[in-house]
Order: sequence, then structure tokens, then C-alpha cells
Amino acid sequence: MEQRAVMAEPTIDERVIEACKEGDREAFRMLFEAYKDRVFSIAVYSFGGDEAAASDVSQQIFLKLITSIGQFRGESAFTTWLYRMVVNACIDEQRKRSRLLPFGDAPPVSRIEDRRPQEKHFAGLEVSSFVQAAIKELTPKLRMPILLKYGEGLSYDEIADVLGCSTGTVASRLNRGHQSLAKKLSHLKGEVF
Amino acid sequence: MLSNHVTEDLSAYCNAELPPAQSRLVAEHLIGCNQCRAEFEEIKFGVKLAEQIPQFSAPDSLWLAIESQLEASPVNEKLTLPAHRPSFLRLWLPRFAAVAAVIVFAILLGALWIYTRESRPFWEVARLNGAPLIGSAPMNAKGQLALGEWLETDGSSRAQIEVATIGQVEIDPNTRVRLLETKPTEHRLELARGRMSARIWAPPRLFFVDTPSGVAADLGCAYTLEVDDAGASLLHVTSGWVALQLREIESIVPAGAACATRPGIGPGTPYFEDASDVFKSALTKLDFDSGLTEESRAPLLNQILSESRLRDTLTLWHLMYRMQGSQREQVFERMALLSPPPKEVTRDGCLRLDDKMLHLWKGYLENSWSGDSRLKKVWVDAWTRGVMGMGKR
Repeated sequence: MEQRAVMAEPTIDERVIEACKEGDREAFRMLFEAYKDRVFSIAVYSFGGDEAAASDVSQQIFLKLITSIGQFRGESAFTTWLYRMVVNACIDEQRKRSRLLPFGDAPPVSRIEDRRPQEKHFAGLEVSSFVQAAIKELTPKLRMPILLKYGEGLSYDEIADVLGCSTGTVASRLNRGHQSLAKKLSHLKGEVF
Repeated sequence: MLSNHVTEDLSAYCNAELPPAQSRLVAEHLIGCNQCRAEFEEIKFGVKLAEQIPQFSAPDSLWLAIESQLEASPVNEKLTLPAHRPSFLRLWLPRFAAVAAVIVFAILLGALWIYTRESRPFWEVARLNGAPLIGSAPMNAKGQLALGEWLETDGSSRAQIEVATIGQVEIDPNTRVRLLETKPTEHRLELARGRMSARIWAPPRLFFVDTPSGVAADLGCAYTLEVDDAGASLLHVTSGWVALQLREIESIVPAGAACATRPGIGPGTPYFEDASDVFKSALTKLDFDSGLTEESRAPLLNQILSESRLRDTLTLWHLMYRMQGSQREQVFERMALLSPPPKEVTRDGCLRLDDKMLHLWKGYLENSWSGDSRLKKVWVDAWTRGVMGMGKR
């Protein structure tokens, strides 16, 4: 059984977006409620599990969203436009932080692997934490397509649109991402799946 | 078929992102190409892991932080509602909005319920005899088995299920099955009781049947599986290979062989159905008699070894993993007598269960279990008949 928390589709339509453009704070609140967990999740993974950093960048993203939503012309889906903003904001913030601090303080997969074998048998609940740790260890290029595909449910075309690359590149990065996850978590094979 | 490898397409194949024709080409290539199939297994595992990605909930403080930034920001003026609205509207608007929201929410909830019900993945079912039930409703000549739904036959009814595009399952009388999963990387049925016959034309380990005492993983071709009221099951493989698994225990069962399972124990040792009755009876006791001691096990093992023929090395090879100490040595000696191991395989290696050596030996023994070339032919024939639509029954 899948343990992934599937998020409800936000009920954001053109009227809400138009209201946001006109400065309606209630509409903005609706927008925030619909996307806050998605934006925050991507940010958490981008900052190696640092929730404080993720909270800071999420705040910046929503503030930027409200000031620049007037530039959204509806040429692409709103979610594509938003995810593009999220991806760019996370990359920018990572660059800033990488100049100041060593990136990522998430426990490496190897540390989790050190747990006693009998503990691994409670893996029904633990698989997602292994996956979480392994995803944090992926390079940003491989991590982001995985997050957009499995966290946000985007198609390859939508991911390509968000990342500004071809669908073939998305397929190739996902291939490498899947292989990397499989190698990092090979000890779970046969135990859970 | 093998000229162009499909490794670059494997994630898109697993994610159902390929057009149907290309997807079919990939599936066809995977059947014949070991290299791509190995990569497919790895990527399929990666996909299953990625599907477990946990999501995070934004902290409640996030909105407060944004709101305070907005208050302090020049954009605040732009973000307040226009103040010149009529007072009547200002008074009643929130109430109308609340009522409207409840109505819209109820409509959306209803629509969502209908949508999710309609859009659930399903398999096509055809009635063969009697009145099979899907859920609690008798099915018509054709029906659909949705994810999570039970299909049940009584003493006089039978049904046939189309397993997505990869095969067919016939459901015999007095059988109860449930569709647990259907997606490009996994198709899974639960057999709670009764008997089913499966014919699968797909790469290995895409079709699984859960029973109360083990999981049957299809490795290609056809088999029957039956489960009694106590949850014990019996597998007969008619072509290709099937793996029976429960936790760490796995039995690989080729065409012409059978394997039983028991609740709480899992799969027994596979055996060829044309083995002697003495051989089969001793094996059943050895596998499932929980009261056996080391001493009482010895005569049973002796019977098995003395009755074993060359093709019964199928059973002996599995017993290598299940016996210990001197009994494992006895099994090795008998196997070596029936079919000497290749030079790379040593006695010591086998006795310490060196997986590489035992599988190398198994590769040689398989010739006596079933001809590889014939197996491949059956598999490719089944694929051609079934998936390519040439003479599909």
C-alpha cells in the first residue's frame, strides 16, 4: 500500500486568481491554503530537511507570488507557473546558502542503514523515512523531477515545462533518479516490495 | 527485436508516459532482453520507492509570518478589500458565501465521489457460467472489476478476467478474488479461496496473486492456483515459471511442477507432479509437519533422496537451503550423483550456501527441469498470440 500522503486537488480557479490580481486578501488566503503544503514540501527536500529554511523560503515564495501574480497571463497552467517560481526560488536560496554554510544536515542513508535488522522489519512505517533520506541525498537535478512527479503528480510534459527542459531530459533524469534510489535503498528490496 | 535497447524509456514505461504502441514495443523487448530486463527491475524498484515520498505540512506560523510581512509592506494597501461596498452586502455577503460554500462543497464532494468511483482502475470481466457477483451485485455478460472490489462465484458460476493488457485469469466455481492493484509496474489479485487459472504474457514479476499463505509471482506463462478454506494453497504450473514467496522463503516452480503453501509456514518445496507417491508424501511431511524433530526428519529425507530422479533435483536444489548440517550434506551428495556440479561449483561453497555457486549449478540443472529453448518458445508464442493479437483466444 502506498504510504504517500496524497494531497487534495486545490479548488483554485480563474476567479480566485483574478481576485488575487485585484488584491483580494481572502482570495490570496485561499491560494495559500491550497498550495502551502506543496510549496513547503518541495522546499523541505530542497534544503535537506531543514524545516526552518524551508519555512523562510516558502514565505518568500508566497510574498513574491502576491506581488507578481499580475504577471501571470494564463499562457501556461497556474500550477506550472507557481512550481517554476518555487523551483527557481529554491535554487536561488540554495546558491546563497551554499556560500555561507555547508549544505544539508539530513541524516545520510548510511546512518539509517546502521539500525539493527529487527528494527527494519517495522519498515512499513519506516520506508518513507528511508526514501526521504535518500531523496535528500540526490543531486538537485535528479531530485526535482522526482519531487514534481511523485510529490505533485505532474506529467513528464508538465515537469519539462516547469524545469524549462525537454521531456526527454525529464525522462532521462527520472531514469537516473530511480536507479539512484534503487541502489541507495537496495537493502529494502524483498523486504517490503 | 533486440537491436535497440530500451533502457532510456524504462521510467516513462513504468510511469505510463509512453504512447501505447511504444509501450508495447518496450514490453516486447523486455521479454527477450536480459540486460534491459535487469535495468527494468531496478527502475521499477526505484519507482516503487519514489511512490513512498512523504509530504510535509506547512507550519501554522507560515501564514502569520506572511500576514505580518504584508501588514508591514506597501503592497498591503493593494491587498485590502475595497472599502466602498454597500453595507447590506458587507453584512450579508459572508452569510451568503458560507451557505454557498456549503452547497458547493456538497456538490464537489458528490462529484468527487462519482469521479473517483468512475475513474478507478478496473479490469474487464466476462461471465462464463452462472451468476458471478461483483461486489454484491450479479454481473451481466460483461462487467468491470474495480480496484478493491471482490469477484465471487458460487458452485455453478465461472468468470474470466482480462488482466489489463498482460493476460487472462479464469475464475472457477466457489472462488473469491479481489483486485488489489493495477498499474504498469504491478498487477495484483487476492485469491481468498477457490481456484483460478492464469495465462500471463508479460515480463517477469508484473503479475502477483496474494493468498493467505504466500504470494505467487508470475515469471511468465500459465498456472493454476487453488486456496482451501483453511488458507492453504496449491500451485500447478502448466508453462513457464512461477515464484511462490512468503517473507524470506521463495520456491521457484517450473512447468510440470507443483508447490503447496500453509498459513504461518509459507511455501513448501516444489516437486514435479510425476514424482513417486512416496517421494511426494515424504516431502509434504517434511515441509509442513510441525512436530518433526531432527531424528524423525531423517527417514523422511532418506525416502526423498532414494526416490529422487534427475529432474527431482528441482526439489533437492530447494532442500539445500532448507536442510542443515549433515542433512544438507546428504542432499548435496545425492544431487552431485544425479548431476555433477560444474567445475566452478565446490562442495564447500554449496554447503555454506554460496548463492552464486548454487545458482550456477541450478542453471545446469534447469535443462533437466524443462528445456530452456522450449520454454522460451512457449513464452514468445504466448506473447505473440496474446499481446500482438494474433490468434488470441
